[in-house]
Amino acid sequence: MPFAIGPEYIAVALLGVVIGIIFGAIPGMTATMAVAVFLPLTYAYSMEMALYLLLGLYVGGISGGLVPAILISIPGTPSSVCTTFDGHPMALKGESERALKIGITSSFIGGMISLVVLAFFTPVLAAWAIKFSAVEKFLIILFALTVIAALSRGQMLRGIWIGMLGVLMAMMNQFSVNNEYRMVPDFLKSEMQSGFQLFPVLIGLFAVSEMFQQCETGMHASYTKEDAMKVENKQKFNFFRDFKGQWINVVRSALLGTFMGILPGVGGSAASLIAYSQAKSWSKHPELLGTGVPEGLIASETSNNGLTGGALVPLLSLGIPGDSTTAVLIGAFMLQGIQVGPLFITNNPDVWNTVLVALLVCNILMFLVMFFPVKLLAKIILIPQERLYPVVLMMCTVGAYATLNGRMFDVWCLLFFGIVGLLIKKFHFPVSCFLIGFILGGDLEDYFIQVLTAYDGSLTGLFVRPMSWVIWALIVISVVYAFLDNRKAKRQEKEAAAKQ
Amino acid sequence: MRINVVYSTQHWIFPIITIGVLIILGILLIAVEGAARVKAGKGFFAKPGAFFEKNYDKVKFWGSIVLMFAYFFMLDKIGFTVCSIIFLFLFNTLFANKEQMGTPKYHVVSVIISVVACLVISILFGTIFAITLPSGFCTIEIPALSLIIY
Repeated sequence: MPFAIGPEYIAVALLGVVIGIIFGAIPGMTATMAVAVFLPLTYAYSMEMALYLLLGLYVGGISGGLVPAILISIPGTPSSVCTTFDGHPMALKGESERALKIGITSSFIGGMISLVVLAFFTPVLAAWAIKFSAVEKFLIILFALTVIAALSRGQMLRGIWIGMLGVLMAMMNQFSVNNEYRMVPDFLKSEMQSGFQLFPVLIGLFAVSEMFQQCETGMHASYTKEDAMKVENKQKFNFFRDFKGQWINVVRSALLGTFMGILPGVGGSAASLIAYSQAKSWSKHPELLGTGVPEGLIASETSNNGLTGGALVPLLSLGIPGDSTTAVLIGAFMLQGIQVGPLFITNNPDVWNTVLVALLVCNILMFLVMFFPVKLLAKIILIPQERLYPVVLMMCTVGAYATLNGRMFDVWCLLFFGIVGLLIKKFHFPVSCFLIGFILGGDLEDYFIQVLTAYDGSLTGLFVRPMSWVIWALIVISVVYAFLDNRKAKRQEKEAAAKQ
Repeated sequence: MRINVVYSTQHWIFPIITIGVLIILGILLIAVEGAARVKAGKGFFAKPGAFFEKNYDKVKFWGSIVLMFAYFFMLDKIGFTVCSIIFLFLFNTLFANKEQMGTPKYHVVSVIISVVACLVISILFGTIFAITLPSGFCTIEIPALSLIIY
């Protein structure tokens, strides 16, 4: 079982984990941003080295979010929203060190469980997907798009609409079959032969638009050095006491997080919200959750790290990213000329093994780097955003410029998609749906045209193969679920409004 | 149902379907959300909330867009390193709050960060990793050493 490991790989992974934790711990910066900003650095690396760096950034970025969530009740990344519910009350009781250690340990366990799922589930899914014809490939992308919508609670229609807009924007290029342009102005034809490139689109949507939003609110933190920055230790962390009776919660939350990761386009925030609400409904003392008990903290942190392995499953088996961060990883694979999808494991067994080993190493490093120097973690939050954002912007510019060997067009796309991302957020549409639509739009069209050509223009081709019936059933289930969940969410919204 | 796949026009098949879906869903979205607003006692086309945050920072918001535009515009005219040093300093200054604006230490740190960060990135990517960066009139090229500082 060949795979890449050695001191140089571990050093790069450590660098990734530390930088990831810093990005995760600073509110307003995310794991996606960390991975995206450092993607250009991998241009000069081998695929294996790049994986260690990027997975380190991913694991560190997701885990770092718990630090400000616990200490100042501001989630460092959206996936740590629920960590604030119990983590911060624990900090207020003088147990911040214990809360941080519980969070870090939970993150580690969540990461490990999801790694096991990744290792066993991906080959099975890929083996199934290898038998796919264009019909199933088209339907599975359609399924991915309906799932995103199904999980944008209360925003089903908005999710589908913006996802379709992403699909449309992905088609602004020269069509590969007949070399005809569509929806491209004449003066941009030379630049847009292959359409908008993924990297500038992604960075624009996630990093530049975030910077604009931070500027809107003044680009200064709403907290100061005095804000609960002292890591107190009134009650010491004891693994056996704090995790006693929590194993079902741990496994359930990690598996929920992993499952949410497998569903395309679902971020860590949804994973931790669902795990937290499940922990609450299964708890013997649901009334205590939210007052500063380890139970809620464990649920949130195991689930959001469970997401990391889960999100890699559809990416490596179907070529569909599980969340926005893994969407950046597609860029890394593409740069190295590796095609992710059903044949990935068969064609690149070394890279596949390296993914697993790198994820294991990164989780262990994350645990060591966060658990022991726990008191130092508080200091990360104080790194000023106003100093970091300009450097981040510069690195994004380098990455965008280098996407296709040096084009200013891709740099301008950063600004354009930064504004697009801002508008999407301002009009309350889910950005991740747009991104997934954009990523999958090209393939969706290719497979559709292949189906039409194969079945002489007849749409019945979409229904003739038995394997396609399974996917149609999944699509119907997700639409029905979306409809019912949407109604439930709206009813809950109304009830909450009535209570106020 | 049958769709004729004609070679010369097939590049429009899927975009037209997508635009059709967008129009139908758009109408549905307006109708559903409008009906919900009417039910809540508001008008069908009731104005949504304010676009910007209350008392948003106009200087930083519009300034960042203008500065980014200027940065990208000048990149391939000046060259990556010098242009980035100038604009990194300007971004640091734009993002400063009132207190920081008045302290010389903040600006000195801004200069140090701008120069160090740009040189490190430029040498790391442009020289060591040989990644093409935008070049302009400040780009230094020493062919004898096969060295370029963009």
